[in-house]
Amino acid sequence: MSTEDNEQAGGLRSVSRTGRLRGTLAFLITCWKVNLASAMEYRASFFMMAGMMFINNFMWLFFWSLFFGKFQVVNGWEMGDVMMMWAVGAGGFGWANMLFGNFNRIAPIVAAGQLDVYLSQPKPVLLHVLASRMSLTAAGDFFFGLVVYAWVGNHSLAGLLQFLLGLLLSGLLFMGITILAGCLAFFIGNAEGLAQQVFNSFVALSTYPSDIFKGLARTLLFTLLPAGFISFLPIGLLRDFDPAFVWKAVAATLAFGALAVLAFRLGLKRYASGNAITLRG
Amino acid sequence: MLYREEAPKYAKGAGQVVALQTQALRKVFTVKRKDAGLAGSFRSLLKPSWEEKVAVRSIDLTVQRGEMVAFLGPNGAGKSTTIKMLTGILHPSSGEAKVLGCTPWREREKLAFRIGAVFGQKSQLWYHLPPIDTFDLISRIYELDRADYHARRDDLIERFELGPYLHTPVRKLSLGERMRCEIAVSFLHRPQLLFLDEPTIGLDVVVKQRIRELIREVNRDEGTTVFLTSHDAGDMEELCSRAVVIHHGGILLDAPVDRLKREVLNRKIISLTLAAGYDASMLPPLPGTEVIAGEGRRLKLGVDLAVTDIEAVLGTVIGTYRLDDVTVEDPPMEEIIAHIYGTGG
Repeated sequence: MSTEDNEQAGGLRSVSRTGRLRGTLAFLITCWKVNLASAMEYRASFFMMAGMMFINNFMWLFFWSLFFGKFQVVNGWEMGDVMMMWAVGAGGFGWANMLFGNFNRIAPIVAAGQLDVYLSQPKPVLLHVLASRMSLTAAGDFFFGLVVYAWVGNHSLAGLLQFLLGLLLSGLLFMGITILAGCLAFFIGNAEGLAQQVFNSFVALSTYPSDIFKGLARTLLFTLLPAGFISFLPIGLLRDFDPAFVWKAVAATLAFGALAVLAFRLGLKRYASGNAITLRG
Repeated sequence: MLYREEAPKYAKGAGQVVALQTQALRKVFTVKRKDAGLAGSFRSLLKPSWEEKVAVRSIDLTVQRGEMVAFLGPNGAGKSTTIKMLTGILHPSSGEAKVLGCTPWREREKLAFRIGAVFGQKSQLWYHLPPIDTFDLISRIYELDRADYHARRDDLIERFELGPYLHTPVRKLSLGERMRCEIAVSFLHRPQLLFLDEPTIGLDVVVKQRIRELIREVNRDEGTTVFLTSHDAGDMEELCSRAVVIHHGGILLDAPVDRLKREVLNRKIISLTLAAGYDASMLPPLPGTEVIAGEGRRLKLGVDLAVTDIEAVLGTVIGTYRLDDVTVEDPPMEEIIAHIYGTGG
């Protein structure tokens, strides 16, 4: 079977890898600008949602401060470590959800057949889907992370770089695990509830000091549901820099990220679309 | 397939370039089967049963560059599934397809730079933002040169008369205005082949007409190949030179629209709202015309265009009754399909 040759078609793009990367970056920046503009269409909602999340996170820190008022040290963790755990967790979740706000909506998007528009456009589908939404509440999470770091963090250059690395790993891990769970929708249909459970468990586990878990629970925390790689960052990366832990955290982040991309690609072959009416933004 | 024009008319050759070609393209979905009611739900939970649903049985099709092809069929015929396979959205169960030299599901991204797609029920416009912002985003998605983008955007805005609502959030546009924006946006990167899936669905007659004119204009000026699915025979009549009718996932008919009009679409439906109640005894005999329904102030007539014409029938009706409203429509696609079956093609 033959149709006109690609080369004859006039318009086939022979763009270099650098050109393609530059094009993708320009697309991402425009996407984020459009998301932000869309979010700011409702100014009151924007500020209220971000503000409420900021306050909500501080409420948790308040409860932890009550706890540490009674017990100064728990399994080697002090109040400052718990605060940095929240800073890294909420901050990482915040940037991921601001820039790639669809990462915890993959399951409903797939199940409702809402990938069609993304698939019909010439950009990597997963990246396009992820960047097509900005979470309003996430701005509060991210800002909360920065404020806590400014409050109790290490303000040396090394301390700042370690904190930024922590934010990066935390955000990427949140995305990897949640996308992987969301991709179940390609294989089992409506996986929205299951994906949401995985997401909630992961968020909850990342907000408790990993050293309070022992035995099987701790093993699971660093394998199947690797929230430990986020919750241990305040110790292994920020307080007592442990290269072995950091390398393992980087490897786990890359592995779960790669698994998520692979699952999404395999899933696209099974994608069944749908007839639901779809609107963007 | 019951009827098809001779293949050489559409085959590659005589200076023609094939834009799209499929061979035995097939798509089967596996769907869960559930009996009705709560008991059925429990049975399905404990012992689920699955069945295969053939959405597209086998499609063999060739479309030349610059052609305007209508891909018609009733709901569930397989139109949208076919278009989704041709745009790389769905992977087929079996068969082959080449679109502008690419296999859509294997070279999706490369192909997407050169085709456009408008899905009547799936918007690519940002709902809370004005269309001008979507234009900007789409220009980045297709990596358009900035100067070229601005010139092209301004041309489309003028041509599609989008100026008055370019800065109005999409959520506040009417369906017709939104569809006009959707189609204009899909032309931004100068696609060589445009897939339109039900572009006139839900639109009123005037807006439908305008959208058809705009599509025709771009096809004429830029040589864009148009592959249009619709369950509205009017889209085919007014836009396309060739019609492919599918039913139950297979091609039922592939013929020039002129021939189809002559042999199949030779019937119109006139719906009238009378000023007073319908009185059958007042209506004189009208050759080639049947009363489909007459009740209260509503009167519906079927007109055989091979015997008479709309003007003659309307002239008689206007001379007999006082009218409040008149609509002339094509028969529904189901009736056209039944007619094709009835005549053996």
